[in-house]
Amino acid sequence: MTPIAAYDLGRVPYREALGLQRRAVLARSRGECGDAIYFAEHEPVLTAGRGARPDSVKASAQELARRGVEVVSIERGGDVTYHGPGQVVGYPIVSLPDLPSGRDLHRYLRDLEEALILALGGWGLSGVRRPPYTGVWVGDAKVAAIGVAVRHWVAFHGFALNVDPDLSHFGWIHPCGIRDLGVASMRTLLGQAPVREEVIARLRDSFATIWGRPVIESLSPEPAHV
Amino acid sequence: MPVTIVVPQLGESVVEGTIGKWLKKVGEPIAKDEPIVEIITDKINIELPAPAAGTLGRITLAEGVVAQVGQELGVILAAGESLPGGSAAQAPPAAAGTRAPSGPGPAASPREPVGVGAGAAVGASAGAAVATAPPSTDGQRISPAVRKLAKEHDLDLSLISGSGMGGRVTREDVLGHLEALRLGTAARAQAPVAQAAGALRPPAAAPAPLKPIPAPSFAAPGAREETVQPLTNIRKKIAENMVRSRHTVAHCSTWDEVDMTELVELRARMKETVKATYGVSLTYMPFIMKAVTRALKEFPVLNASMTDTEVHYKKYYNIGVAVHRDQGLIVPNVKDADRKSILQLAKEIEDLGNRTRAEKLTLDDIQGGTFTITNAGMFGATASTPIISYPEVAILGVHLIQERPVVRDHRIVIRWMMTLVVSFDHRLVDGTPAVQFLHRVKELLESPESWLLDSI
Repeated sequence: MTPIAAYDLGRVPYREALGLQRRAVLARSRGECGDAIYFAEHEPVLTAGRGARPDSVKASAQELARRGVEVVSIERGGDVTYHGPGQVVGYPIVSLPDLPSGRDLHRYLRDLEEALILALGGWGLSGVRRPPYTGVWVGDAKVAAIGVAVRHWVAFHGFALNVDPDLSHFGWIHPCGIRDLGVASMRTLLGQAPVREEVIARLRDSFATIWGRPVIESLSPEPAHV
Repeated sequence: MPVTIVVPQLGESVVEGTIGKWLKKVGEPIAKDEPIVEIITDKINIELPAPAAGTLGRITLAEGVVAQVGQELGVILAAGESLPGGSAAQAPPAAAGTRAPSGPGPAASPREPVGVGAGAAVGASAGAAVATAPPSTDGQRISPAVRKLAKEHDLDLSLISGSGMGGRVTREDVLGHLEALRLGTAARAQAPVAQAAGALRPPAAAPAPLKPIPAPSFAAPGAREETVQPLTNIRKKIAENMVRSRHTVAHCSTWDEVDMTELVELRARMKETVKATYGVSLTYMPFIMKAVTRALKEFPVLNASMTDTEVHYKKYYNIGVAVHRDQGLIVPNVKDADRKSILQLAKEIEDLGNRTRAEKLTLDDIQGGTFTITNAGMFGATASTPIISYPEVAILGVHLIQERPVVRDHRIVIRWMMTLVVSFDHRLVDGTPAVQFLHRVKELLESPESWLLDSI
């Protein structure tokens, strides 16, 4: 079983993580490295996927500019998403043919959801899917967003789990274009926010279970900065 | 002949996708496997790799259109081709599950994938967006050389599974099959042919040795696809430097295992504060660089350069850091690293990385280095033997820091371990100082608290 390396980048600028992902996808597709999951956290930023509609951003350009919030257009699927402090964002840079899903894109999305649901179960939370949407909900509130891109059959982008973000920031957008369902965080659901490291540890375990491969916590002299 | 780009199979439940963005314009040159168009399905966006090299001849379906699996998206033309009338390229978009006319004419080159068939792309190599016919005896898909080889050995090509584009049987497949026959692993598949042909070597006879496989020739391409790109100036320069180093320097490498646990813990305790206070991401590199400059002062020969007649011992410590770029490796250096604090080093290394990515390095940044550190651990390597950045005489390779079982006090414990490698120029540097230098760096990294306090 080839292990999957898990890195915690900590809080990094969104564009930096984006650059890292794109380099990692290239390296992975050339077989220069193995599969990896990068965990990260970002300053407030809005990312617009390929399915973004112009009216999905509710906040005015002036307000976003005043707060220093950038809207970054990216290659993943999906509508506009918010990232900010208090989220655990995960970027699996994985070769799809080497996963149980193979080249089945929907199966890959369902597996991401399953891993998140499994991890949430560790705190007694019952995560559910809301077909036809992609993501994970607890009750009627969305707790994790998913958006993925695939290049040379290597997946990148991934998911954002709301651990303890400022939920008012979601008021800047219609989360992923879904207007009739709310947003939740693990803090609002549990009464207190779990520790970030514990969340990442549980996610590592969940992915190891779903993908049937060891997910190894790895430190390197910082991929993003060396 | 023109090659059709189709929506490949993307999963059991995926029957259609929306065309996202065309990454190429009509008339633009395309390399094989280069992302050419995005298909969005649900929350996933896949960039389809070009099934062949050429130019984009036509965009059949525009951005925003919903396409069925198997439907034609566009057409790639080879050099000198135009869209011919009545060929596959002008066929109306095929519905999912139906076969569009592929029309492999007698003139078709065996190097070009042809044919369009929904569903067959699942097994195609490299995920190319074209679906070609299943492996078959279709004369147009197998190169004459391969055909001849098969004939020489009385093999039925239809029984050999192809690994080439769209399942085409290649020379390697035939040779592999012959080898399998020799070992007996392919006996069942080939047996009926052997009987029918009656010409396979008698079982009692020793298998004749295979002819040696000739080295691949650039001049005479075989049946495998390849793309040709001009060498960039950066790549030429890198190649020149690497070869000069390899031809000049007597490379030798030695390595050791470093217990990074204390440093891992120290950094973990400090990084949040450092980030919050100084806005700098604290990596391991500044610590490693600091340990290196201290050790270099004790073993100055590793910070030297040599000519045919002289040795230059440098009293300054400009430490290079190899930085990966998509265009190719580059090695900017931190000037006077020995006179800078960990924090200053962290800032400068981050700055060099940022400026490298922004392509804002100056000539000064990449000149005057005296020693280099290279991080092959960036994407997970646990060991490497780096090439020295000539005219320097040594380079330190740092690698993935990972938890490994090690023995301490007769017990197996889990520690954060890293392999540390030094490559040195054995013309100037003897093994003893190289090993001692490495050992000193190891000592410093294993007990950072013993020296950080009096570190500048």
